[in-house]
Amino acid sequence: MSFLKVALSNLRRNPVRSMLTGLSLAVSAATLSVVLSLDSGYSSAVTEDLVNKTGVHLYITKEGCPIEAASVIAQGGLSPLYVEEDIVSRFEAMPELAAVMPFKLFAVTTDDGTRTDIFMGVTEAVSEVKPDWQYASGGWFTSPESVILGAEMARIENLNIGERMYVEHFDAEFVVSGILQRNYGQDDGTFFLPLATAQSLVGREGKLSAVALKLKDISHMDTVQNQIRASMPADYFVIGSKELSDGILQFFSSTRAIMFVMVGVAFLISVFGIINTMLMAVLERRREIAYLKCVGAGKYDLLRLISLETTAIAVAGSAVGALLGMVLSPLSGNLLRKFLVAYIPSGAIARPDFGIALTAFAVCTLVGIACSLYPAFRAAKIVPMEVLRNE
Amino acid sequence: MNNGHVVQLENVSKNYRRGSETVHAVSDATLAVARGEYVSVVGHSGSGKTTLMNIMGCLDRPTEGRVTINGHEIQNEGEAGLTRLRQTSIGFVFQQFFLIPTLNVLENVSLPSLFAKRKLNGRARELLEMVGLENRLHHLPGQLSGGEMQRVAIARSLINSPPIILADEPTGNLDSRNADMIMSLFQQLNKDGATIVVVTHNPGIVKGCDRMVHIEDGRIQ
Repeated sequence: MSFLKVALSNLRRNPVRSMLTGLSLAVSAATLSVVLSLDSGYSSAVTEDLVNKTGVHLYITKEGCPIEAASVIAQGGLSPLYVEEDIVSRFEAMPELAAVMPFKLFAVTTDDGTRTDIFMGVTEAVSEVKPDWQYASGGWFTSPESVILGAEMARIENLNIGERMYVEHFDAEFVVSGILQRNYGQDDGTFFLPLATAQSLVGREGKLSAVALKLKDISHMDTVQNQIRASMPADYFVIGSKELSDGILQFFSSTRAIMFVMVGVAFLISVFGIINTMLMAVLERRREIAYLKCVGAGKYDLLRLISLETTAIAVAGSAVGALLGMVLSPLSGNLLRKFLVAYIPSGAIARPDFGIALTAFAVCTLVGIACSLYPAFRAAKIVPMEVLRNE
Repeated sequence: MNNGHVVQLENVSKNYRRGSETVHAVSDATLAVARGEYVSVVGHSGSGKTTLMNIMGCLDRPTEGRVTINGHEIQNEGEAGLTRLRQTSIGFVFQQFFLIPTLNVLENVSLPSLFAKRKLNGRARELLEMVGLENRLHHLPGQLSGGEMQRVAIARSLINSPPIILADEPTGNLDSRNADMIMSLFQQLNKDGATIVVVTHNPGIVKGCDRMVHIEDGRIQ
């Protein structure tokens, strides 16, 4: 005979109520787990896309909200802002820079709105900037009408080297000169064109979306950024890739706040549910608890007993919820992808892991145990004589 | 005080408030129960029997007077001290049995030892054999008759080997056949040396006791 056995046996009295209480905690744990997975997953995905996979350390862009411009560029829209191409020559002589990549980025949506293709006009510097620029087949552009396909686009279009690709929007045909290896980033879904071709397709000859710079030594980032900023006309911006990702994450902050409010609401419901259930369980058993006091149960014995009952529910509910959250996180990531108004990263938006599951489990278990304190104190304060006399 | 009395009440009074009214539940009661004695307490409803029993059971302190249980003056004891006395010195039997419905017979009998932190070494089985329930060890209370449940409650009251058994209307919920069985059991326990104080309306129990204490309007007659 142990306190735990008595506590567990008490839970069997009303299994439906015990299960529902556990479920309310499971919902909280699952919600917390999903939100934490989304929160950390989105940040990681954005950072991976814009900081790690691009290989770009600084962007030169035009005046306006730099974050908005960055978001438009990153999403492949045609930004109303543009950079003059002749500005590129200013950077080519800088010894601190490993590569200078001017680019033109735009997106084309089909007339029925079902598909958006991203086109990027690049120079050969792209292979120096992007760390994952590897050909699965073929190679660099062979003519102004050449196109290099990202791995996913090659799969979707079912095209091989030398085959022709027709783009209805521009009424233009391109020949596939290269297919990139899959890098699980934005590049997989991009059509790369020669810079001049891309510029002429959208009527922006001599104009760039931005200039991407790669530094030889990233520890000099601040110095180089300040140096370039000082040498540029006032209507130009120099944005670090980290600032870019941070800015995009700021767009996400309102979604994030809503998600955490949801967690808070789920927790509040759970907290009141558990306190109510355990209080009911105590009040229903007043006479029995009074009798336990008669046979020698002290205050701490009753505190222990009621707390153990709640702990058992909390542990079971939190464990189920944390696991459920792990299963639901990828689904919720896909769902969120449809509603994101900020940057949509290429990688998984929700990234559940053991640490998140453990955090959700621990937080919910602690909340559950904390909820037992009031009912447990009520039980401990029962005066047996009063109960036995009055009831 | 150790003059052979396991329970001694000297000029004990107990008053409590009910709304604006003060109830004198027990007034100037003096009573001594010797070790091995079998005493019945009788009286009408509201006469103060249960209050007297609660005081003897260390569930309540007197407003006035001195109460000594198994050598301990309870008015000097704190909550923890009273709890310890209930664990070691008193076994309770109630009319409503108060068995935990989700614990089996053996577990119900063992329960008080959990709070007293005592090792049982098979005592629960021995007690259940003594009350004739050796074949019901793993039954749940819901599977027992009223008489069987009360026998489980009696076995449970004995698990910590208390010197005093306090029973409040132990046959109140039983038919005559089961009531007779419980009365015989109390008599047997008393013959084996247990000190028993029983609050009852049952003339059969009263007849089997060494002594009857009559209480009326809170005063021992």
